[in-house]
Amino acid sequence: MNRLRSGGVPRFIVRRLLLGLLVLILVSFVVFAATQALPGDPARAILGRSATPASLAALRKVLHLDRPVIDQYLTWIAGLLHGNLGSSLAAQEPVTKLLAPKLVNSAVLVLISAVVSIPLSIAIGSWAALKREKIFDTVSSNLLLVLAALPEFVVGVVLVILFATTVFNVLPGVSQIPPGSRPWNDLSGLVLPVLTLVVAVAPYVARIMRASMIEVLESDYVEMARLKGLPERTVLVRHALPNALGPVFQVIALNLAYLAGGIVVVEYVFNYTGIGSALQDAVINHDLPVVQALAMLIAALYVALNLLADVGTIVVTPRLRTRL
Amino acid sequence: MNPMTDADIAEAGISSAPPPSTRASSLLRRSLRLGRTRLGLILVSLLVLLAIIGPYLAPYGPSTPVGAPNSVPGGKALLGTDYLGQDVLSRLLYGGGSILVMAVIATALGMIVGAAIGLLAAYSRNVLDDVLMRGMDVIMAFPQIMLALVAVAIIGAHSWVIVTAIALTTAPRIARVARGAAQPVVERDFIACSEAMGVPRWQILATELLPNTLGPLMVEASLRVTYSIGVIAALAYLGLAPDPNGANWGTMIQENQIALVVQPWGVVAPIIAIALLTMGTGLIGDGIARTAAGIDRARGGE
Amino acid sequence: MAEVSRRQLFAGAAGLTVAGSLAAACGGKSTSSGTTPGQAAGKPKRGGNFRLGVTGGGSKDLFDGQNIITKPDQARLVSAFETLLLFDDNYQLTTNGLAESYTQDNPKQYTIHLRQGVEFQNGKTMTADDVIYSLQRIATKANGLTGFAATATIDVAGIKKLDKYTVRIPLKTPDATIPQTLASYTFCVVPVGYQAYPHGPQIGTGAYKLKSFTPGQQSVSVRNPNYWRTGEPHFDQITIIDFNDSTAQVNALLGGQIDAMTDLPASQVKVLQSRNMHALISKTGGWLPLCMAIDIPPFDDVRVRQAMRLIVDRPLIIEQVLSGYGFTGNDLYAPFDPGFDHALPQRTQNISEAKSLLKSAGHSKLAFDLHTTNGAAGMVELATVFQTQAQAAGVTVNVHNDPNYYGNQYLKLGFSVDFWGTRSYLNQVQQGSLPNSPYNETHWPPKHGKGSNFESLYSQALAETDIGKRIEIEHEMQALEYELGGYIIPFFNDLIDGYADNVRGLRPSKGTLNLDSFGHGYRTIWFG
Repeated sequence: MNRLRSGGVPRFIVRRLLLGLLVLILVSFVVFAATQALPGDPARAILGRSATPASLAALRKVLHLDRPVIDQYLTWIAGLLHGNLGSSLAAQEPVTKLLAPKLVNSAVLVLISAVVSIPLSIAIGSWAALKREKIFDTVSSNLLLVLAALPEFVVGVVLVILFATTVFNVLPGVSQIPPGSRPWNDLSGLVLPVLTLVVAVAPYVARIMRASMIEVLESDYVEMARLKGLPERTVLVRHALPNALGPVFQVIALNLAYLAGGIVVVEYVFNYTGIGSALQDAVINHDLPVVQALAMLIAALYVALNLLADVGTIVVTPRLRTRL
Repeated sequence: MNPMTDADIAEAGISSAPPPSTRASSLLRRSLRLGRTRLGLILVSLLVLLAIIGPYLAPYGPSTPVGAPNSVPGGKALLGTDYLGQDVLSRLLYGGGSILVMAVIATALGMIVGAAIGLLAAYSRNVLDDVLMRGMDVIMAFPQIMLALVAVAIIGAHSWVIVTAIALTTAPRIARVARGAAQPVVERDFIACSEAMGVPRWQILATELLPNTLGPLMVEASLRVTYSIGVIAALAYLGLAPDPNGANWGTMIQENQIALVVQPWGVVAPIIAIALLTMGTGLIGDGIARTAAGIDRARGGE
Repeated sequence: MAEVSRRQLFAGAAGLTVAGSLAAACGGKSTSSGTTPGQAAGKPKRGGNFRLGVTGGGSKDLFDGQNIITKPDQARLVSAFETLLLFDDNYQLTTNGLAESYTQDNPKQYTIHLRQGVEFQNGKTMTADDVIYSLQRIATKANGLTGFAATATIDVAGIKKLDKYTVRIPLKTPDATIPQTLASYTFCVVPVGYQAYPHGPQIGTGAYKLKSFTPGQQSVSVRNPNYWRTGEPHFDQITIIDFNDSTAQVNALLGGQIDAMTDLPASQVKVLQSRNMHALISKTGGWLPLCMAIDIPPFDDVRVRQAMRLIVDRPLIIEQVLSGYGFTGNDLYAPFDPGFDHALPQRTQNISEAKSLLKSAGHSKLAFDLHTTNGAAGMVELATVFQTQAQAAGVTVNVHNDPNYYGNQYLKLGFSVDFWGTRSYLNQVQQGSLPNSPYNETHWPPKHGKGSNFESLYSQALAETDIGKRIEIEHEMQALEYELGGYIIPFFNDLIDGYADNVRGLRPSKGTLNLDSFGHGYRTIWFG
């Protein structure tokens, strides 16, 4: 098993925290090195066809592309720690100003999707476990399997076909958010992207929920409770459910992480103004500060979610603490 | 589309299902008894067959113009034409090969590298374990598709870039599974025995650890193939396919989606193909997983 | 990614240069049959917020009265800034701009008489000082503006203010294309001290004043109450919105989230019409060339170049790439220029001759790379269709779609695809066919032998004041390009835009810019 030293939960948390920090530092090296290794020249990438020698020189000067690499790395790291993510090469505006609204938009999308998908999948998974091997279980399992296998963009395009363009015309196929406005100002534009993400994520959570619920329902602990003569409902709610929640907790956190990955494609399908599209734009323009900032952001998010998941699970699942 | 597995939970020290530990061949054979595995196998075989002999069945070449762009089915084009007037059916028949080949190679590479790292980490149980797994964490700090997207957008949409990016991001996830499955085995007596006899490390890894971890690895492999197909198709959809006009299911969806209202088949046909393929691999993986879980349950858990 | 247009299209000119204030009424072909319905009728009405969707932009969007990179930049520039001279819908030069008249005093000197009483959007009157500042700004190399190359013949230091409303422009060498240059849409008049966003207030003479701007997303401009043309403009406000791809744009138009869009994909024309909307189809002189560098093997052998030009099936390409929205090209540019040589025989596909040319050049089995990108609609499609057609002649083409194409030294490639807008012949030569041109994809002209006198011919043409003689020189130049050049120009593409039923006043135009030069700076369109 994991070599968790004795010391209990706090020690476990601290150790995980330090490991997470280490990973982040390593990631920052990799991100910085990778963006510096980009072939081609950012000024050319930005100006594209209108890159005459005069305009190139002018842009390069403005962007300070001539300072030594180590210098740039240290400045960048220092800036990161102070919340200053640098200035976008393409827009010549602070990265934070550029990304903040898009981050909000993406976060809203992810959170709403999570809010819908998590209860849904817990419910489906639990019910399927309770009625395992019966009709609901068989049908739902297969359906969920099928849905889980589909790539997100396929789900997205199919939903667009069904509800926005070809079959019905009831929902917008595009979810652009004008600057200054927020996603909740036009709720109809959120429906399809959220639906896509829910279909992408929920089946997995449901299946995991089912598996863990089954294990719990067949565990000695629950058997014991039944043998004691407790009513089934009490058995389920007071004894089975708490133990089934542990892995679900972890799974939810990981799914938030995968939702974050899924938004790249989903935002593209629906033209949603979020960080997925910001990433694409930045990569093509060799907008180093933005790429670096986004990469660190995502990495930090993943590490944090992983940490939360691990800690949360330990806290929620008492029997694991003994192994600490 | 989500590659989360029971193995990820196992990594954190919580199991939701006991890790299977059976010989590979018997596991495969037994999983075939399940209806879903068979269905999956049928689907996959059909589509693989389509990918292989499709080009010979196609009525036209993938780039032969057969009519006005975006025309509905009729006349020469059974499924209509695409945005350049090429035959949708022919392009469908030509379009699966590259995705499949790249997905399989990428997954295979990721499997080899990932399994090696994971087994080594489990066996070492010391600093090496920590180092290796932190390295894996660094790679896993990014969603797979983002890393692939950035790599391809920067270096260029060459097949080797896509395959490498996917293999690179697959390996850590395999490593986790391998490590998780190997850890209980590593502590067994027979390993200690081999060590005492002076058997070289690599031999222990290959002949004693590996066979015992093949079960979960196979489940993970099928999951990974499914996901790789999805990523490659998604990259093509985002405009990052190796050959801009190569018939490729993902590219077809993107090329033709603007004309969706006028001629849906250019989009619907490749969607059906991708969906069937990923469903097939998913079913196979699920069949293997269920069989393994069933076997272990019968054995009374770990 | 789907059709992303990111490139600038330069203004060109098809009109003649005459000393005088009236354009020569060259009876050129009337503009295309668009699908503009009988909407021209009706008196303009005031009011409304006009929302335009444009693709091709991103976080590098500009707001600069004298510079553009992408189409959204173009859309924004014309809303707030204006030029001294103007082209009309038939691409004829007019003095309907900020200059009331101009004279060519001698081959090396022009005098511009400004319109009096024009105010900038901040109330300041436009004078000669502003014009001088504007020209100097463009002519300053360090500013890196797109119009810089066009100021090569101007003696910038010698530009003089004769009085409050008169400017004298001396030239270093004779140049008859100065009026076309002054009508280029990036040669706008800006106030003294002007700097581009975000370094200064965005003040021009145009019909709409910038209110807010978020690069990559949208800009909002409000009606200029002091605009010098009485009765214009009509909208209260205009909003220009960036889109990442055409699908989103079309959906937004169909859904009523925008009132008009640029670069409507050909497949959507019928869809729009079925939903009671309209497509504006303009026959323009825009072109997508396949460019062969004449100094890079195998294209350094003229037989190979000629063979490539014979491989293309031009009508089929128009069908496949443009869905028919275009007219045939003959490997020569500037089709609307009076100097365009219509007498040169139209090339058609001839695979057997192509093969024999290749064989005599020792390249029976040729293979090479063709580079392209999504710079403008049709560029990638053109490359892939050429790839297919080349197979018939035993030529293997490997197409590379490079998202960072323009950043990767595309001018050094042997074989590539590019895009251009409507221009006059000499203007185009200066931009792409001279040794020091900024965008010379083909590395024309040859350094030795036949064709090496191309540049001196160009200088002669510039200096020639007699129209007939100038056209003769231009024909001589074109003959060289026709025989030896590196361009394969299969077609001239239409510009197709889409708009909602209540938008009035749009007319097809031969010009470079979409949507009838964006409704002539959003002045000549209204909600009906």
